[in-house]
Amino acid sequence: MKGILSLLAVLLCAFPALADDLDVDLSKPDVRLDVSFKGSDLLLFGAKDLAGDIIVVVRGPSHDRSVRLKERVAGVWVSTDEVIFADTPSYYALATSRPVEDLLPESVLKAERIGTDRLALNAKYTSGAVTHGAVPNFTDGLIRNMVKKNLYTGSPGTITLIGKQLFRTDLWFPANVSVGSYAVDTYMITQGKIETKKTTHIQVHKVGIEAQIYNFAHEHALIYGLLAIVIAVVSGWSANAVFRKKG
Amino acid sequence: MQIYLPIAEVSVNIFLILGMGGGVGFLSGLFGVGGGFLMTPLLIFIGIPPAVAVATEANQIVASSISGVLAHWKRGNVDIKMGVFLLIGGVIGSTFGVWLFTFLKTLGQIDLVIKLSYVMFLGVIGSLMFVESLNALLRAKKAAPPKRKHHNFLHALPFKTRFRRSKLYISALLPISIGILVGILSAIMGVGGGFVMVPAMIYLLGMPTAVVVGTSLFQIIFVTANVTVLQSVNNFAVDVVLAMLLLFGAVIGAQFGARAGAKLKGEQLRILLAVMVIGVCVKIGLDLTLTPDDLYALGTMGGH
Repeated sequence: MKGILSLLAVLLCAFPALADDLDVDLSKPDVRLDVSFKGSDLLLFGAKDLAGDIIVVVRGPSHDRSVRLKERVAGVWVSTDEVIFADTPSYYALATSRPVEDLLPESVLKAERIGTDRLALNAKYTSGAVTHGAVPNFTDGLIRNMVKKNLYTGSPGTITLIGKQLFRTDLWFPANVSVGSYAVDTYMITQGKIETKKTTHIQVHKVGIEAQIYNFAHEHALIYGLLAIVIAVVSGWSANAVFRKKG
Repeated sequence: MQIYLPIAEVSVNIFLILGMGGGVGFLSGLFGVGGGFLMTPLLIFIGIPPAVAVATEANQIVASSISGVLAHWKRGNVDIKMGVFLLIGGVIGSTFGVWLFTFLKTLGQIDLVIKLSYVMFLGVIGSLMFVESLNALLRAKKAAPPKRKHHNFLHALPFKTRFRRSKLYISALLPISIGILVGILSAIMGVGGGFVMVPAMIYLLGMPTAVVVGTSLFQIIFVTANVTVLQSVNNFAVDVVLAMLLLFGAVIGAQFGARAGAKLKGEQLRILLAVMVIGVCVKIGLDLTLTPDDLYALGTMGGH
């Protein structure tokens, strides 16, 4: 951490005048899902001109998401009602230097969808028995489940301000992240309004053998299945041969 | 040491997977069962998505069945003709089963069906096996083994065929129907189905015990291979990395299990197996009936 700070200091000295009033960078441009991937930390750091506050929001690629309610039927818990939400971020992280409610009015927070309770998810399908009033329960259920999977931040992370110009925060990408392009929005806030907003992107992708296996399984599914059998046959056969020799 | 699985898309401890492979392999060597009925729930329990657990376990069973059938083959304990008839049913059943699996997945009921099938089959077979082996233990030495029934309604069915190795003259419809049933189970539950097929072959078909295990393994190879290909094509759910890790642990475990098994009596083994089967059944049954932590759950669709 000290190393990064001194690096930041050096960078600042090298460019005494900031091109803009907000500059943001990441410790790595991408998250690589390789064989040893078990989640990844990413450092977001930057410099700002004014004594403002910083909010960072990271959103993963959006998909339709289904949420199901379990009900007891004849003593057994069965999935019954379903709501499908359109364009639900597969990942949502929020970090802020102060509680967001202290920084921006509710209307702005809502418009910018800052905070998991302001995602404004759009229910594009509800099964027969779901009333309009019940949809928020499904929204809450979705967020709870995503928080439990560490894909949404439950409580906002902290942004550390260093002096008046530097800031940094750690972003955590758990092992179950989806691949795709992640949008990182950094807001600089002064006196209850957004002074500057910068958007950068992080690529989350499979690399090496992981990518090869995954792509092969999807693009040549039949050959993949047949190869899986060949591997099984050879291993079964050789296992038998090895242990027969041993006794 | 963690390893990220390319298809399951989760990070697992490599030694945990090897250990599970070894443990279940030990039990399968000990009892002469495939072990799918233990492995699939265990995989789901450690966080592998159920669809991937079922599909991958089918792939692993191909390997362990081949390893097992070779020993029986050499002793001439495989009734190929019977195996082929079981297989015809098995291919029909497993193809239908994978289709059913995909269909239930879109309905969001696949987890429920997997669990209910486990509770039902493990419950019935575990209890039957428990009662049978307990009786056998209690009257060991006293009575002679019960005689096989030679005539019941099953013998009135058409398409009678002679099975030389099994010394049977029965309708070909019988092994085909058993094959269909086991094929469906294999696709939905991620098991070889030996625990259903072996009793069915002994009690329904009246096959001699010596050829039952070899013939059932022979048939399981092809049915699980069919499931593997169909699951790859329809659900992209076979994780070869996971399968190979499981396999490596399982083949070693099975050898030790087989040696340990030689020291125990048949009835004792069966009663132990029955207790284990009932244990898994109760565990899954509780999952279904106890109130879940969260009544709202994410469904399976659109990305992962």
